Amino acid sequence: MSVLTVAPTEIHECGDSALRVVAISEASEDNWLTVHRLADWLESCGAEGLHGAVPTYDSVLVEFDPIMVSARQVRAFVKLGLLELHHADESAKAPREFDVPVVYGGEYGPDLEKVAEYQGISTEEVIRFHTGKTYTVRCLGAPAGSPMMDGPAFPKPVPRLKDPRLSVPAGAVAVAGRQAVIAPAAAPGGWCVIGQTPLSVLNIRREPLVPYKPGDILRFRQIPAEAFSDFAGMDLVPLELEARP
Amino acid sequence: MSGAILVQQPGNSVVTDLGRFRGPRFGLPVNGALDQYSARAANILAGNLDNHPLVEITALDFRMTANTDLLIAVTGAPLTLTVGGRPCSQWEPVSVRAGESVSIRGIHRGLRAYLAVHGSLEAETLLGSAAPDTVVGFGLQLREGTTLVTRRSVTPVRQPYFDLPLFRLGLERPSMGSDLSVDVTDGPDVAEFGESGELLFTSEYAVSGRSNHIGLRLGGELPERTSSGEVLSRGVPVGAVEVPSREELLVLHRGRGVTAGYPVLAVVTSTGLDVLAQARPGDKVRFRKTTVAEATAAHRRSRAQLETLRESVNTVFGLLGIGCRPQWQDLPVAACS
Repeated sequence: MSVLTVAPTEIHECGDSALRVVAISEASEDNWLTVHRLADWLESCGAEGLHGAVPTYDSVLVEFDPIMVSARQVRAFVKLGLLELHHADESAKAPREFDVPVVYGGEYGPDLEKVAEYQGISTEEVIRFHTGKTYTVRCLGAPAGSPMMDGPAFPKPVPRLKDPRLSVPAGAVAVAGRQAVIAPAAAPGGWCVIGQTPLSVLNIRREPLVPYKPGDILRFRQIPAEAFSDFAGMDLVPLELEARP
Repeated sequence: MSGAILVQQPGNSVVTDLGRFRGPRFGLPVNGALDQYSARAANILAGNLDNHPLVEITALDFRMTANTDLLIAVTGAPLTLTVGGRPCSQWEPVSVRAGESVSIRGIHRGLRAYLAVHGSLEAETLLGSAAPDTVVGFGLQLREGTTLVTRRSVTPVRQPYFDLPLFRLGLERPSMGSDLSVDVTDGPDVAEFGESGELLFTSEYAVSGRSNHIGLRLGGELPERTSSGEVLSRGVPVGAVEVPSREELLVLHRGRGVTAGYPVLAVVTSTGLDVLAQARPGDKVRFRKTTVAEATAAHRRSRAQLETLRESVNTVFGLLGIGCRPQWQDLPVAACS
């Protein structure tokens, strides 16, 4: 049995209906695991008055109904959860894997050349960096449960667009700073779009609405633009369930 | 028996509820009625559960008619409510006869009105809520000709003399106007703004026309961040006050993206969010610093008023037989006058 190394934490006030718990270890992996396991624990308790928890990289926002519970009570409850984590068994949590076909550049990735130019490398090299690693889903973010991931090992962090786009299409594959993401739904966005997957990521007719969870693993694979329509309308599903061209 | 309500003039209206509380965990904003007090009050006055689907009407005039008798309640910003051409009271239950036109006009001093129908409205749900989510493309934006379905009909309750208003439940109405005072508590990142953070409490801010259910943009003197490091994306609460640009303050409301990378200077309290829900472009906002304990106490006082209202409504409706059909048909109307 492998045991979680629980990172030290700080709990901050965040208005009358939320607390922010921040893990402050030097080890970012421990921070990430701690806030996600804490969120899982809080969710699984189903405690009345707790709306839920939003874990990201090193922090978790705990939302509650201040009529039913007080911030002080929730704080005590969070501390209890952190103690419980010391006994949590980590070995059973095997990640699932997803294969994401992407058409890079052109109309599918309007910022590919800009990113290449800024990095001082060719567009092929940008694609090689992007397809050349596995990505752990760090958290589900805005908009619409986007998989937030640590980005490719580019020479430099990627600056955000000066003029954010009013609408980035669903399936857009984008990078910014040291992060990478897929857009599950069309939304405004300031990240650099380098490609697009033809797969449907979001499906509001099923639960969960997006197929991946924090901790799952994604891989990007280049496909030619002609192949885009072969995948169109298909859902992104974990590899063992996959049956695709 | 169910009834059909035909929307004749939709204005800018949606079917919503108190919000998608399970959404943030999955990256979806909570959304739901922006003025939670008014929405709860409307449902309570209509004899519904607080979280039942109801209509949120923003700024523009609205008109509907039903093929069955209804009991409704309209709350929120001041407006002119007429039923079959007769002026009716806002913030009270109102009887509507089949075929009568319900008209909401001239929303002023605030921005949003809430219309609840006894028996509630049928609505699709996503993660347990009917609240629209514009990003994932869920929800019911009302159009001319949209038909809403309610599950209950209520035989008209009328004062037999002069058709005077029948109910006087006397709920305290929130004060509205163009000078708003909004309570906030210190945000978790207040230290990043150094002394300039105090500007939030000494300056006056003007509500921009680019404000919506995601967030309000406010012009005025802006606190400045003293640190400049890249911030990791974090969950941000509804009510977060951020300074994303040099032009405007951003106050996130219920449609906010659940994660963001800007430091949180302050957080608007639950009661303060209801005030901001009614802010019109051009209104002036002053922020007042409070503590979490005081904010919670204020929120609980306001909810206690709604609980008192619920008891009055239960008593009156019980006497009238509303919500318990078998007795109702036998009760003479005069019994309630």
